[in-house]
Order: sequence, then C-alpha cells, then structure tokens
Amino acid sequence: MSGPLEGAARTTEKPPAHAAGARRTVLGLEPRFIAIGIAGGVLSGLLGVGGGIVMVPLLVLWAAYGQRDAHALSLGAIIPISLASVITYGAAGKVHYGEAIALAVGAVAGARIGAGALARIGERQLKLVFGVFLAAVGVLMLVRA
Amino acid sequence: MNGVTLFAALVAFGVVTGVMSGLLGVGGGTLMVPFLTLAAGLSQHAAEATSLLVVLPTAIVGSLVLRRRGVGDLGLALRFGTLGAAGGVLGALLALALPGHVLKIVFACFLLLISVRLVRDSLVAE
Repeated sequence: MSGPLEGAARTTEKPPAHAAGARRTVLGLEPRFIAIGIAGGVLSGLLGVGGGIVMVPLLVLWAAYGQRDAHALSLGAIIPISLASVITYGAAGKVHYGEAIALAVGAVAGARIGAGALARIGERQLKLVFGVFLAAVGVLMLVRA
Repeated sequence: MNGVTLFAALVAFGVVTGVMSGLLGVGGGTLMVPFLTLAAGLSQHAAEATSLLVVLPTAIVGSLVLRRRGVGDLGLALRFGTLGAAGGVLGALLALALPGHVLKIVFACFLLLISVRLVRDSLVAE
C-alpha cells in the first residue's frame, strides 16, 4: 500500500513546474496545458491511438505531475475529446449500437473499480503497470506498422 | 458466437476495459478496437466509432469517482481536453497527408523508451 509520502503528489493546485504564476491564456490555461491538450488531440487523431497514451507521459515528464494525478487528468480530458469524436463518427453512421451498449455496461462498472484502484495504488506500482501497458502498445504498433 | 454469448463476452470485456481505463487514465480504445474487429467481426472504422461511444461514459464515470476521491482536477482536465478535441480534428486531417507508417514507428519507439523509464523508476528505490 501507499507510503507516507505518497499523499504529497496528490495536490494538483501548484505542481513545481509551474508554481511561478505562468501567464494564463486560452480557456484560462497555462501554455503548457494548451500544448499538452493540443498534442494529445493531434497525435491521437494522427496515429489512431487514444489521447491518454500521449497525455499521461507528457503530464508526468513535462508538466511534472505525480503519476496518479496525471492519469486522473488524462481521463478527464478524454471526455471532451471522445465527445467530439463520437459526434463526428456518429454523424458518419459507423457506430454499432448493440455492441457499444454491451461494452459500455461492463466498462462503466469496470471504470468505478479502476478509478477506485487509481485513488489507492502507490505511485511506483502505477508507474510499473503503466510502463508495461505502454510497452505492450508500443510493440503492437511496431508489429502492425 | 451466438447473440447471448457475444453479449456476455462484450460485457465481460467491457469490465476489463473499464478497470484498465479507470486505473490508467486512458480511454480503452486501444483494447476495444482489436477485440471488436477480431471477436465481434466489425470493420476497423466501425470498431473505432463503436469504441469511442464506450470511451465517453467510461471516462465520465471514472472521472466522477476520481473527483469524489479528490484525485486530479476535473475542471482543468475538461478545459485542456476541449483543446485536445480541436487538435484531434487537425490530427485526423494531417493523417491524410502524412506517411502514417513512419510516424507510427517513431511514436512506438517513443512509447517503448517511456515504458523503459517508467519501469526503471518503479523498480529503483529513490
């Protein structure tokens, strides 16, 4: 379980990388978040991977977020990103609603479990799990490309 | 697979996807798209469209759970995600003009480098 220092990484208000009061611009966002949001969207549209695979590493390595908060932010950012994509694809009439409903029934239940686990897991275990997941995605992409 | 078996398989796979999504902060399309093409027999485009419709409620429910637990910052996430949505349109247009294979290989290598770093960080004590 979590060590005593894990809690320190949970505060999202003032991470060290931009504690110096950066100038706020579009949607009240700091330039770094504007870049990460756009990079997540562009790369996911360009490469056909989910935005989270792009955004989580950027949030950790560039915005200096703790691993746990980066995953939570990424999941939240996926809401508007997927909403826009659903509208685009839905208009194109490609969605199979029966399959989507069946998957969503399970996925919504699973998301409660997974998000609950994210709130409790240690930063190091999370790095390990996500590292293995990224390696698997990377290998799959190489095999298919 | 008949209808009932397929439905049960889809729900079960949905649970796995949802857990991964909530834990890893990803949508889950990476898992669902191959499953929908291989197990449910959808075309690549139909699988991508269908998985996106699952990603949306999954991300909403996971985010609400995390918000209640005080992890992350949903307001901030929604704002930069909105920019991401605009970026997604740009990315889809760029995909038509750029050599997809080369980009995928470059990005896959980037992912592998990050994964090595993450695994190393998790195993080496601070």
